[in-house]
Amino acid sequence: MSAVFNAADLQGNIVRGYRKPRARYLILEVTNREWARRWLTDITSGRDNGLPQITSEAPWGDTKPDSCFNIGLTYQGLRALGAPAASLATFPTEFIEGMNARAVKLGDTGASAAELWPFPFNHPQRVHLIATIYADAPAELDRIQNLAIGDGRALTLLGTRDGAGFNGDYVHFGYLDNLTQPRFAEVHDPDRYADGQPMAPLGTVLLGYPTNFEGLLFRVPQPERLGLNGSFNAFRMLQQDVAGFEAYLDRAADDLMAHPKLDEVLPPGAEAKIGGGLSRPAALRELVAAHLCGRWRNGLPLALYPDGDQVPSDVNMTNFDYVGASRCPVGAHIRRCNPRGGQIVQRVANNSRRLIRRGLPYGPAYNPAHPDGQERGLLGNFIGANLGAQFEAMACDWLNLGLQDPRVTGSNDPLLGANDPLTSWFDLPLRSGGSIRLRGLPRFVTTRGGAYTFLPSLPAIRHLGALTD
Amino acid sequence: MADEPSWFERWVDELLNNDRFQRLAAKILVPYWAWRTAVKPQPGGPHFSMQPGDNVMRMMNLVMPLKDKSPVGRAKAALAIAQNKDEIYAGLDNVGTVHFARFVIVADNICMFSVYDGDFTNYIRDFIATIGSVFDAVVGLVEGGDAVIPSERNIEAFIDWVHAHDLYQVPDLATDLLRDQEAVNGAQPCTAGNDLRLLPRALILQLHVNSNVSLGSGYRAYPGYSVAQVRQQLGIGW
Amino acid sequence: MSQSSEAKQLVDAVISDFPDHAAGTRPVHTIGVGVKGTFVASDVARNYCIAKHFQGEPVTATVRFSNGSGSPVQHDGWSDVRGMATRFHLGDQEATDLIAMTLGEFFSADVAAFLAFTKAAQPGPVERQSPWQKIWDMLQLKPPLPGPMPGQSNDLGAAGMLKYANRHAAAQLAVFQAGMIGAPVSYARASYHAVHSFVVIDAFGVRRHVRFSWQPVAGVRTTDPAIPPRDDYLRQELEQRLERWPARFMLMMTIGEAGDAFDDPTRPWPDKRIRVVMGTLTLQRLAPDQTADCEQLSFNPCRLTAGIEVSNDPILRARRDAYEVSRQMRGGSGCPFSGGSANGR
Repeated sequence: MSAVFNAADLQGNIVRGYRKPRARYLILEVTNREWARRWLTDITSGRDNGLPQITSEAPWGDTKPDSCFNIGLTYQGLRALGAPAASLATFPTEFIEGMNARAVKLGDTGASAAELWPFPFNHPQRVHLIATIYADAPAELDRIQNLAIGDGRALTLLGTRDGAGFNGDYVHFGYLDNLTQPRFAEVHDPDRYADGQPMAPLGTVLLGYPTNFEGLLFRVPQPERLGLNGSFNAFRMLQQDVAGFEAYLDRAADDLMAHPKLDEVLPPGAEAKIGGGLSRPAALRELVAAHLCGRWRNGLPLALYPDGDQVPSDVNMTNFDYVGASRCPVGAHIRRCNPRGGQIVQRVANNSRRLIRRGLPYGPAYNPAHPDGQERGLLGNFIGANLGAQFEAMACDWLNLGLQDPRVTGSNDPLLGANDPLTSWFDLPLRSGGSIRLRGLPRFVTTRGGAYTFLPSLPAIRHLGALTD
Repeated sequence: MADEPSWFERWVDELLNNDRFQRLAAKILVPYWAWRTAVKPQPGGPHFSMQPGDNVMRMMNLVMPLKDKSPVGRAKAALAIAQNKDEIYAGLDNVGTVHFARFVIVADNICMFSVYDGDFTNYIRDFIATIGSVFDAVVGLVEGGDAVIPSERNIEAFIDWVHAHDLYQVPDLATDLLRDQEAVNGAQPCTAGNDLRLLPRALILQLHVNSNVSLGSGYRAYPGYSVAQVRQQLGIGW
Repeated sequence: MSQSSEAKQLVDAVISDFPDHAAGTRPVHTIGVGVKGTFVASDVARNYCIAKHFQGEPVTATVRFSNGSGSPVQHDGWSDVRGMATRFHLGDQEATDLIAMTLGEFFSADVAAFLAFTKAAQPGPVERQSPWQKIWDMLQLKPPLPGPMPGQSNDLGAAGMLKYANRHAAAQLAVFQAGMIGAPVSYARASYHAVHSFVVIDAFGVRRHVRFSWQPVAGVRTTDPAIPPRDDYLRQELEQRLERWPARFMLMMTIGEAGDAFDDPTRPWPDKRIRVVMGTLTLQRLAPDQTADCEQLSFNPCRLTAGIEVSNDPILRARRDAYEVSRQMRGGSGCPFSGGSANGR
């Protein structure tokens, strides 16, 4: 049973991004079931009743709203709202268990362990709703927050997390992000261009539609009103050790400067093509940074531009594939998370673990001239129709373990992976066919919280609001 | 007196070593202790782990009771596999993470034993995508299987069903059984109140609720490698 | 100063578990036999470690097999851990030792816990279960306690070790396995494990945490527990065996992964780790001079060579000084440690 796509039914933050520079995540607990249900009805009423209204995917026309508002519900939240047990049982196992319980599968061990997450994420049974406010100005975030919480009779605010872009789409490790998202035939997104990948079926992200797997349909949570056009989100607060990352680039560059095969990595004079004329060590740093990620810091993909990042600025950053002898390392971050049409062990799974990624950095921009110990990172949303088939599958077999290619099996993602400097490694490919093995990569990203949420359609929110005991 | 056992002592020793007496005693004692110290069933399959060596060459041991327990039923199961040889190889080569897979009929069960790499749900899901029809043919012959086929339309339920039929792997190290039991009870690892002499009873009671088990996680001659690593090293392509 | 007093404490603690220990002998593994042989590394050993004995040239070796007990009274057939201490002679007075035992893990992870364990393991009176106790155990589905062996004067610490293990999860596996270990039919038919992790360094400077084990080519075999044990047969068996044919052992090296217990000797590594064949040890004859090459020889687990280093295992590091103190106490022959950072200072 394939649904008919009606944009007005979807929440607006799923198939397209709002491109607002600021966001606030409100982590909420149901105070009172009746009032919470009424709250859900009121935010989807479309009327001006003092509460922010859910932004849908319906086109805006000419005027972009000052702020947007959307919600996600955890399993505990659905329980707290009184969804019947039979309905709850139709949700997927990983969503029911919650992100905290899936820690080992996701690599949230050691410093990233769920027990160490700050409040409220270390009390997953109390995290019921995550509401997101998107705006241009902080004052607007505050205003909407006050409207949404009101007197707290419906929902209690457990905590907030603020995201703010500090330089367009740049993130804290210094890379330009948000260059590639799945494209859908049914959705016109003027920000998305040809990207060398097939159009994604709607079932990549929405429940009730054909998926990338031929003939496979994910179970739509019942009743159908609740599950159809819904989606699942892995919300994650990822702390980034920028100082540690830059220090690692220094060490790697030093080691390479002394390496006998240095001229194969960076032929004499080739540093002119990197960063607009850097010294050899500085160029090596950028070269290592590009190989770890799969893109130069300015977003240019290694697969198309392996020798340097000096190219005319109006080039398409995302129209490429990993075919043949691609110069992008197999273990590079963007290639691990999205191998596109490249050769992978799990051939049948090409293009089946794609995710919509939305997010904003949090924390102040890092200034290498004045290094500080402030916490900074990424508030990330990894959205797909099925957590187990997409987010989890990518995280445990590709990001960590590296099962998709025997050349990286046994190693973790250099940027995001659960690396232990005693045993971690990353192979820098050489044009001659060999490679130089970089070692001692520490863990650069630590998980500081998160939750699996269900992103219901607007009819689904109204359905929950109309629940009776 | 100290070294010379009395007739009573000798009689007791003989009795306790007598096979028939042991079996009779077990018939009464095991249900009694299973009632007194209830042991929860352990889930099947290998534990989650972050370490590469634990995530390759993992064992799956499925034991699935046939609906039709006659030779006709067993022949149907045999045919279901034999007629799908191409499908099975297409699955094996394009999922790329299975080292070995064996279908075995034992008594009234069709069993599937395989050695695979990576996450269990990814393995089953990718196989549903490639050979879902073979799964349907086999599982349709198994008790309780009708509820989860066609597998392509019941992905999550099918995966859960397979997981439920995957055997518990009794730990390689005997005392880890106590840790498994603590984990399932949500208890902390022992600090007090344990008696190592009760470890055999803990094993007996666990095997009372998990009557089919895998003994250990398997013995490997060359542990620590994925399918593709082996194929690549041997130069036969992956 | 405190390091050597801790070492003396350790030695005294171990001796206290054997009330009839004889001065001038080893605190444990008192009874043993020395054997001479040759070690030849495999063709891949040099890819993992630059140590001389792993480069492929045959290297002579002196091995001492032993029974675990610190009592001077010999009971080969009693259930006991066995030891295999190997000295690789690297030439120019240089040597490196590898000490292994038939138990795959240790009882405690640090010195304080070990001292508590030895205190708990002090022998108590021989316990012989009454028939009523046996019936009571059977009703509880407890396995019967083994009866005392003829000539057993104390319980060998069994009751104390059990009590300690019931309170300390880390010691459970070692106590459980030690209780069932039995007696080998031959020193050459047991597997010996070095237990502690070491760090091997290859030609590129890559460091790997590893654990070593000796696997008998003749296979593992223990005596039948139903047959009354014999007190003195292992040395003769070995002598007769080596007259017929050499005894061979494979040196297996398991490579650890991040997350494995690098510094905790109570936890074995999972069987799913990569296992490398490092070489073959061929034992040819008993050492002609059993005094110099067995009794007086003093091995030390921290006597290493360039290419092998100790891990941060606190018990391994404590053994360095403890073995030195013990050697001095019994007048064993010294062997200067080869210099350099290879020895865990």
